[in-house]
Amino acid sequence: MLNHAPDRADLNAIIDLIPRDAKVLDLGCGDGALLSLLVQKNHVTARGVELNEAAVRTCITRGLSVRQGNIEEGLADYPDGAFDAIILSQTLAYLGRPETVLREMLRVGRLAVVSFDNAGYWRTRLRMLRGDGFGASLASDDPPFRAITLAQFESFALHLGATVQRAEFVANHHSVSPLPSLMAQTAIYLLARRVTTLP
Amino acid sequence: MLTTSRFFHSPWDLQLQSGAAFGPFTLAYETYGELNADRSNAILVCHAWSGDAHLAGHYAPDDDKPGWWDDAVGPGKAFDTDRYFIICSNVLGGCSGSTGPASIDPKTGKPYGLTFPMLTIPDMVDAQRMLLDHLGIDTLLSVAGGSMGGMQALQWTVSYPNKVRSTIVLASTARLSPQTIALNEVPRQAIYADPNWNHGDYYGPDRTPPNAGLAVARMIGHITFLSDESMREKFGRRLRTSGRYGYTFDTEFEVESYLRYRGESFTKRFDANSFLYLSKAMDYFDMSYGLPSLAHAFRNVTARFLVLSYTSDWLYPSWQSKELVRALLQNGIDVTYVDIDSNYGHDAFLLETDRLAELARDFLRRA
Repeated sequence: MLNHAPDRADLNAIIDLIPRDAKVLDLGCGDGALLSLLVQKNHVTARGVELNEAAVRTCITRGLSVRQGNIEEGLADYPDGAFDAIILSQTLAYLGRPETVLREMLRVGRLAVVSFDNAGYWRTRLRMLRGDGFGASLASDDPPFRAITLAQFESFALHLGATVQRAEFVANHHSVSPLPSLMAQTAIYLLARRVTTLP
Repeated sequence: MLTTSRFFHSPWDLQLQSGAAFGPFTLAYETYGELNADRSNAILVCHAWSGDAHLAGHYAPDDDKPGWWDDAVGPGKAFDTDRYFIICSNVLGGCSGSTGPASIDPKTGKPYGLTFPMLTIPDMVDAQRMLLDHLGIDTLLSVAGGSMGGMQALQWTVSYPNKVRSTIVLASTARLSPQTIALNEVPRQAIYADPNWNHGDYYGPDRTPPNAGLAVARMIGHITFLSDESMREKFGRRLRTSGRYGYTFDTEFEVESYLRYRGESFTKRFDANSFLYLSKAMDYFDMSYGLPSLAHAFRNVTARFLVLSYTSDWLYPSWQSKELVRALLQNGIDVTYVDIDSNYGHDAFLLETDRLAELARDFLRRA
């Protein structure tokens, strides 16, 4: 699946969003680079789900508890609120059923951290205008993916009944603040279940 | 690595799941490595259906046949005898030194045969617990096993939740599937059909054991241990002799020859009644028996788990390990699960020792 390259821009932002000593589940955790950083820096209790056998074995070498399996079936087994935070890092765009996964994340976790590449990033828009296309190259075997913009994601969160607690935007390894829908290359959202008041 | 057979004679009776009490009994066992000062480095390895206590090493410098899991147990290996104290005992009901149906019943002075009580996996585990008490080991760093050994390892975590810190379960299940029960029943029928079986009464110098039945039983077993791919790789359609069909009922194909050889050699080392008893113990194995769900079985379990399945294993297919993992996760248990891509079928748990070594080493280091 997708491995977390150590220099990936969203990692530090995710680490900042995860509470200390939290119980964390990383969906599509790759070789466990992010989970290892979270264990070192935030002292989290780490769990992962990953499809690729070799990546799972690397996780185990790093001392992580990881289950080999796919994300979509993986969440159903956890009881409600089993984790403080569930991470979906750079994977949303590749999911077959994103709504099912996000709903399950918000059921199993108190918080959900979702990072993805912003399809509204100005360079991407420019590329589209030039007619260069977007998405996985037809000449590659990369999996197909969805193009997600910030506005699209935020209305999706609303649709799921989640509130955006924080959002971080990154471009070229730096935090960006004005005009994120144009300037953000990668977006990192911290979602929480909307608190429902009982009658 | 040199090793010796040891014997534990239980002074106590065992209360069996069936309600009967059984004893006294003997367990054959071997140990490897050194128990540390605070007795915290003990690992119990449980053997599978046809295994024994001779896990690793040699009995003498000129002994050329090592124990059954020598690739995985020894200095620097997956179960590193430089770090851990490793114990393996022949199961109760077995025929390699522990009390089983071929043993003499002290009440009659004759072999038990079918008067031997029906055993379960929890009974085998209770007997092992008595052995560990005898060795002065209260808590196991880990309990590990594949196939029927994996069932014992799982049962340990439930029978003695405070005495097991971690467990490694390979190619196993928390409850036998109907397909596996069926694949146990046909070998049993092969033994029953051998007139020499004589309802389990065949012991004695002037008697012949049901070797024909037991050999067929083992042949069926060996089919289930392999996979379609591994059979194609190992034998293909190759003929044993001339390369031309003989148009007779002789053993012509290499795969036939392999199965016959395996069947016949098994009769020299295994007792047919033991084979029957152990197969029934597996059939009865269902950790959800009498419970609303499998998850209920693990409610008090605190051990960490490493669960491994093998993609081409059709005797204990991956879905059974996944079912186990789900039940563990529902209890918030710390589980690591890998479905190892292998063509070796069920035998993979004995053959894929390189990948096992890497996983077990990293997993045990955290224990």
